[in-house]
Amino acid sequence: MDIKDFIAPFAVWKRAFEKPFTVKKPIDERPGAPRYRGFHINDAERCVGCGTCEAICMNKAIDLVPVEGREAKEGDSGLRPRVDYGRCCWCALCVDICPSGSLNMSNEYLWIDSDPDVFRYTPGVDKKPWDGAELGYRRAEGYRLLDEQRVPMAELGHREAVKSFLELVQGYSRAQAEKEADRCVSCGLCIASCPAHMDIPGYIKAVREGDLDTGLRLLYETNPFPEACGRICTHLCEGACSIGTGGDPVAIRWLKRYIADQVELSAYAKALPRAEPSVGKKVAVVGAGPGGLSAAYYLALLGYEVKVYEKDGEAGGMLRYGIPEYRLPYPALDKDIGYIESLGVTIKRGVAIGKDLSLSDLRRDYHAVYLSTGLPVAYGLEVPGDKHPRVLDGVAVLAAATRGEELGLGKRVAVIGGGNVAMDAARTALRHGAAVDILYRRREEDMPADADEIREAKAEGARLIEKSIPVEVKDAAGALAGKAALFVWNEAEMVQKEEGKRPVPEAIPGALREELYDSIIAAIGQGPDLSYVTEEDGVPMKRFKPLVDARGMASPGASPKGGAIFAGGDLVNDRKDAISAIADGHRAALSIDRHLSGKGA
Amino acid sequence: MDATSFAEALDFAIGREKAAVDFYRELAALASFAVQRSTLKEFMTMEEGHVAMLSAMKARGGLELSSAIAVDLGLAKALAADEKPAAGMSFQDILVAAVKKEERSGELYVSLAAASLNPEAKAVFERLVAEESRHKRYFEELYEAHIARDN
Repeated sequence: MDIKDFIAPFAVWKRAFEKPFTVKKPIDERPGAPRYRGFHINDAERCVGCGTCEAICMNKAIDLVPVEGREAKEGDSGLRPRVDYGRCCWCALCVDICPSGSLNMSNEYLWIDSDPDVFRYTPGVDKKPWDGAELGYRRAEGYRLLDEQRVPMAELGHREAVKSFLELVQGYSRAQAEKEADRCVSCGLCIASCPAHMDIPGYIKAVREGDLDTGLRLLYETNPFPEACGRICTHLCEGACSIGTGGDPVAIRWLKRYIADQVELSAYAKALPRAEPSVGKKVAVVGAGPGGLSAAYYLALLGYEVKVYEKDGEAGGMLRYGIPEYRLPYPALDKDIGYIESLGVTIKRGVAIGKDLSLSDLRRDYHAVYLSTGLPVAYGLEVPGDKHPRVLDGVAVLAAATRGEELGLGKRVAVIGGGNVAMDAARTALRHGAAVDILYRRREEDMPADADEIREAKAEGARLIEKSIPVEVKDAAGALAGKAALFVWNEAEMVQKEEGKRPVPEAIPGALREELYDSIIAAIGQGPDLSYVTEEDGVPMKRFKPLVDARGMASPGASPKGGAIFAGGDLVNDRKDAISAIADGHRAALSIDRHLSGKGA
Repeated sequence: MDATSFAEALDFAIGREKAAVDFYRELAALASFAVQRSTLKEFMTMEEGHVAMLSAMKARGGLELSSAIAVDLGLAKALAADEKPAAGMSFQDILVAAVKKEERSGELYVSLAAASLNPEAKAVFERLVAEESRHKRYFEELYEAHIARDN
C-alpha cells in the first residue's frame, strides 16, 4: 500500500470549504475553442433555402421553414433552415454540405433558458447574440463534400468548329453522365425556374441509377423535345441550381441530352405512355414549331385527333430554320418530331393558313384551334439605305442555310444585333469563310443572346463592336456598286439618363465610323405574322399579340362559326424561347381538353 | 401660325391632335389585316383622348399640362425619315410612323414657342413641347420593348 492512500482522504478536507472551480472561474472566461461547433449561424441573404442541410441531417434536427418577408424567387425557395437543439448533435455535416456556404457555426455553447421551445430557432432570422460570430466551425478551406466542378464536356475546338457544321458538343458517356448526376443534391430549386417545370431532380436521379426509361418518361411528362432542349435550351434551371452558388451548376441540359441520346427512337414507345382511346374530337394546330408540336403531342396522348399545319416544307419551326445544325443537328430534331408523329399526329407541311386555308376554315372543321406561329417577320434596320440588296435579314439567312441554299455572303460580313439570331447568323457566316463583325448598340453585358453563344462567337473569330448605333447603309463605289455596301455607325457612350432604368446608348458627336461589307445581316428583332387572323375570328389582339387568358384561350368559340381558339409560344409570351413555347403548348393541350370535355369548366 | 392668345394656341393644338386622329384613320384604311387595324385603333383612340383633354382645358380656360419634359432616348433621331406604311405594314412600320409623327409635333411646338410673342401662347406651346416629348417617349419605349429587343 502506498503512503498516498493514507493521506488522500485528508487532502480532500483541504478543499472541502473552497468554492467550486466553476464558481470561482466564471464561464464567460472560458470561450469555446476557435473551431468549436457551437450554435448555428446562417447568412440568410446568401442562403438559397435549398434544404441540403435538412436532407443530410441524420437526426432530423433541421426543417426548412417559411420566413416572414422573404418570398420565393428564382434560385431561392424563400425557406430557411430551422434548427432543433433537442435533436442536433453538432456533427456539422450541415455546414460541410451547404452549397452556398451560408451555414456555419459559432463557438458559442452557453444558452440557458427555462422555456424549452426557444431551443428551436431559425439562424440568421431569429436574432441571437452570436450572429455574425467570427469564431466557430467553418468548412475548411478547399474542403467540399460536394464536387464544385462539373464533368467537362468534350467539344470541337474553335478552329476546327468553323470549318464545318458538325455538332460542337459531343455529349457525355455513361460514366461521365453518372458522375455529373452525382453532383445533384435534389433540392428542386431548378423545377420552379424551368418554364415547363420539368422533374429535373427525378430525371437526374434516373441517370445516376442507370434507369434511362424512367428518365425518358420523366422528360416527356412536360417536354416532348428532349433531344432539342438537351442541346439548345436556355437552361434557366442551371441559373437556379443551388450547386451553382458555390461552384459550377449541375450540367442539367447535358444530362437531359444524355438520356434522349441513349434511348433509341424505336425503344421510346416501351418507356413512354400510350395515347388514350379516341375521344372523337379534332384539334387543329397552326405552326409546327416546338410549341405547336408540344400541344399536338399532349392532345394526342389525351385521345384527340390532331392535325398540325405548317407553312414551311419541314416541321420544327425556329428549331429547324433558326438554329444552325452545329448546335442542333437535324437528326436529333427529327427524332423528337418523329416520336410525336408516331402517336398519330398529322403534320401538313407546306400549307399556309391565310393562304391555302383560312382560320375560319379551321374553326369550322375542328373543335378547337391552337395558334403557335411564332415570330417569323424580321424587323429592319430602319436607317437610310437599309433596302440595299446586300442588307439581308438574319432569320432568312439562317433559313436559307437550313435549306442548303448557297448563301453568297461574301468575305466581309456585318451582323447587326446582339440576340441569339445575330450570334447564330454570325457563326453561320464564319462557317462560310467570312470575316465577321457583330455590331451592337449597347455593351456586351447588355446583349440578350445567351452568354455561351456570345463567348463562342467571339472564340470562333467574330469581332464584337459594342456601342455602335446604326446610321446609314451606303452603296459601294465603282465596280462594287450593288455588290457590297458601306455600313455607317456612330460610336456611342452609355449614359444613365434616368435613375433605376438601364443606361441609354448616346451617339458621340462626330464619332462616325464606316466599313465596307459584302453582306450586312440585320438581326435586331422579329415580330409575328398575324395576317391570317380576321376580325370574324374573334381573337382579341393588342400591339400585334393575341390576348389570352390564364388557360391560353384567345376566343371561346362555341358559336355556330366554330371552335375555340387558343394561342401561345413566342406569339404570346415574353420569354421567346423554345422551352417557354413548349410549356405554353402543354398548358394549351390541358386547357383544350378541359374546355372540350367540360372538365373543370 | 399666328397664335396670339391662349385660346388660339389651344385651337391650333387641338387641330394638330385631330390631324393625328386622321393620320391613324388613314393608316387604318390602308391596313390589310385585323391586328394592324386594332393597333391603329388603339393609337387613334389615344389621340382622340388628347383632343378631348385639350378641348376640356380650353373650355375651362386653364392649361393643366405638366411641364416635365421626358428623357429623350434618342431613338427618333436614329430612325430613318418618313416612310409611309403600306398595306402590309408591320408593328415596326406603325411604331416608326408614330415616333416620327410625335417628333415632328414636338419640333413644331418648339418653333412656335420660340416665335410666339404673346406670353400666354408661348406658355401653351412650351407645355405642348413637354406633352409631345412624353408621347414620343411612350412610342419609343414601345419600340424598344417590342421591336429592337435584340439591339
